[in-house]
Amino acid sequence: MRLNPFRRFKGFRGLEYLLAILVTALFTLVFLPFRTAGGQDHTVFSLLYLLPVVISSVLWGLGPGALVALISFLALNYFFVPPYYTLLVHHTQDLLVLIVFLIVSITIGQLVGRVSKSLAESTARERDAIHLYELIMHLAGLQDEQEIVSALAEQTLIAFRAGRVDVLVEQQGSTPAHHIKLEDRSRLDQPAEENPSYIAPLQFARGFLGEIKVWRGKSLLTPAEERLLHTFASQGVLALERVRLSQAASRTRLLEESDRFKSSLLSSVSHELRSPLSTIKAAVTSLRSGTVEWDTAARADLLAAVEEETDHLNQLVGNLLNMSRIEAGALKPERSWNSLAEIVSSALERTRQQTEKHIIDVDVSADLPLVPVDYFQIEQVFVNLISNSSKYSPDGTTITIHASVIGDDQLQVTVKNQGPPVPAEHLERIFDKFYRVTAADRVTGAGLGLSICKGIIEAHGGRIWAKNLEKGFAFNFTLSRFWEGRSPGISQEMVDE
Amino acid sequence: MTAQPHILVIDDEAQILRALRTILTAKQFKVSVASRGEEGLALAAAQPPDLIILDLSLPDMDGVEVCARLREWTQVPIIILSVRESERDKVIALDKGADDYLTKPFGIDELLARIRVALRHSAQTLGTQKSQIISAGNVVIDLASHVVTREGQEVKLTATEFNLLAYLAANAGRVLTNQSILSHVWDPAEADRVEYLRVYIRQLRKKLEDDPDHPCIIRNEPGIGYRFILDE
Repeated sequence: MRLNPFRRFKGFRGLEYLLAILVTALFTLVFLPFRTAGGQDHTVFSLLYLLPVVISSVLWGLGPGALVALISFLALNYFFVPPYYTLLVHHTQDLLVLIVFLIVSITIGQLVGRVSKSLAESTARERDAIHLYELIMHLAGLQDEQEIVSALAEQTLIAFRAGRVDVLVEQQGSTPAHHIKLEDRSRLDQPAEENPSYIAPLQFARGFLGEIKVWRGKSLLTPAEERLLHTFASQGVLALERVRLSQAASRTRLLEESDRFKSSLLSSVSHELRSPLSTIKAAVTSLRSGTVEWDTAARADLLAAVEEETDHLNQLVGNLLNMSRIEAGALKPERSWNSLAEIVSSALERTRQQTEKHIIDVDVSADLPLVPVDYFQIEQVFVNLISNSSKYSPDGTTITIHASVIGDDQLQVTVKNQGPPVPAEHLERIFDKFYRVTAADRVTGAGLGLSICKGIIEAHGGRIWAKNLEKGFAFNFTLSRFWEGRSPGISQEMVDE
Repeated sequence: MTAQPHILVIDDEAQILRALRTILTAKQFKVSVASRGEEGLALAAAQPPDLIILDLSLPDMDGVEVCARLREWTQVPIIILSVRESERDKVIALDKGADDYLTKPFGIDELLARIRVALRHSAQTLGTQKSQIISAGNVVIDLASHVVTREGQEVKLTATEFNLLAYLAANAGRVLTNQSILSHVWDPAEADRVEYLRVYIRQLRKKLEDDPDHPCIIRNEPGIGYRFILDE
């Protein structure tokens, strides 16, 4: 998009031609006093006149050089070849000198002009290459569209010595629009113009992405600079496309992972849901069928099974919801200052039925410092750890729950059982989703409980790990006593008398 | 209260309505049911019940709103039913004036116990002579003279401890949310300072409970608040 192509020629190139003519006139004025009356020395002047030709060619290029060669030829003829002040030539050898001068001067002018032009061009190319290199360096490794657009605008402002640069990337689907305006007040020598000096589109394979607008006051962009700006634009587009592609790739990966997660969840859950449902169905249909007369003990047994299995189902549904929240990254602890003792007692209340055949030994003092945690999430951790412990340790053994202050800023909780040790290679992985040490059909559970504990404890900034003991097995986790660097404004000691 | 207390159940699950209607009728209650919020509000106005069991997730309106609209004109006890995942709504409903809550799924014995407590509490509130002497376990609280005794011995309480105990005891049987206790006993501006409540509750339990680690008088309502338990 080239704006007003004629402005480039107005005044600017004309000035160089005018200067070339002036230089020739100046040299003529300098040469004139040295002219002899006889006029036999014009061969010397023909050599001297090569000077303005060379100077103009070097300074202003081929066109002005050729013009100076022509004017010098005329001036030499007019002022220095007898008869003076005419363009007539009497002697054949004078004519020869003039013609040779014309040929030589034009040739020299062209040669010198071309050399200086190509020198200028290669300097410009080198400058462009440096600017382009700078741009690529700044764009490399950027993963954020906004940063890319800013880097592009900044480098354009520097490379084109512009007063103002405006980079706009339009909104596309879910990716938001980006708009960066940069100004260099020292170069913005005039009030902001209505129209930019040049606009380069940001174009990619599938269409229009946005544009770069450059304002540079009176000095317009040369064709080489326009080409460079287009190169800048295409580098910007490449960087943007790279980011979008990598985002699309990671989205796909996430979707695939979540898909895999959902299918393993489904297969695990459908099994888990059906087994308690079959128990319930069997018990209830037996009780309802008129064919058998159940005695009181048998009825109580069947009904107890129904109640146990409904609790089991309820716990499973809770775990599923928690797991899907953890997976969706939606598990945000709603912290408040809580007493671990209260949390443990309500977790024990919820697991009472599962732990009926175990001895529970609780050593969690209500005088421990308060912890900033989400009550229900930490309660869920205890429920899952207690339920896991009761499931994997023999009936009649003891489950110990212990909490104590560790260091200056943490509480450590241990849930111990007297179950068999877990092989060392499984210790880390038992917190993975759907991971089971024993075969799936031997123990009930969807393999979710421990991974939920891990999700919750990590969301609280704590750490959870498992350990084999000399006689048994222990889960440990830590909780910070500080909330955004602060401890509760009150403690037990402050009100104790 | 009539001889046969009238209970209104508002829940959108037909199976729950059927089960509750059967069970409560068998327990000598008069039961009416509604499956939508508007329907429930209309029924409550037409035949004022003695107690309302309200599910928080209704098809036409939020259960919390039903609770708030009921409280505009009636002090009838409201027991909230909700699933474990909507703790926040439960707290809002309690702050809007609900008396108690049950988490679904629940045992019927638990529901019946809550109904009994709520009906007794409302009878006390309706009764003109509101008791100034409250006893729970070994503890006797005289609200008028600010004296608290345990096994006949006077217990020394600080002013804050007494205010907290008096507020809990005056609302005995009801679930009180952390926020409502803090704003009544301390100051509405302090409603978020749960840490104060935790420390003072612990202090009261040490002074009043036989076993402070297994409290019987000031009971914990997991994640919601506390409840003062009266003698049956």
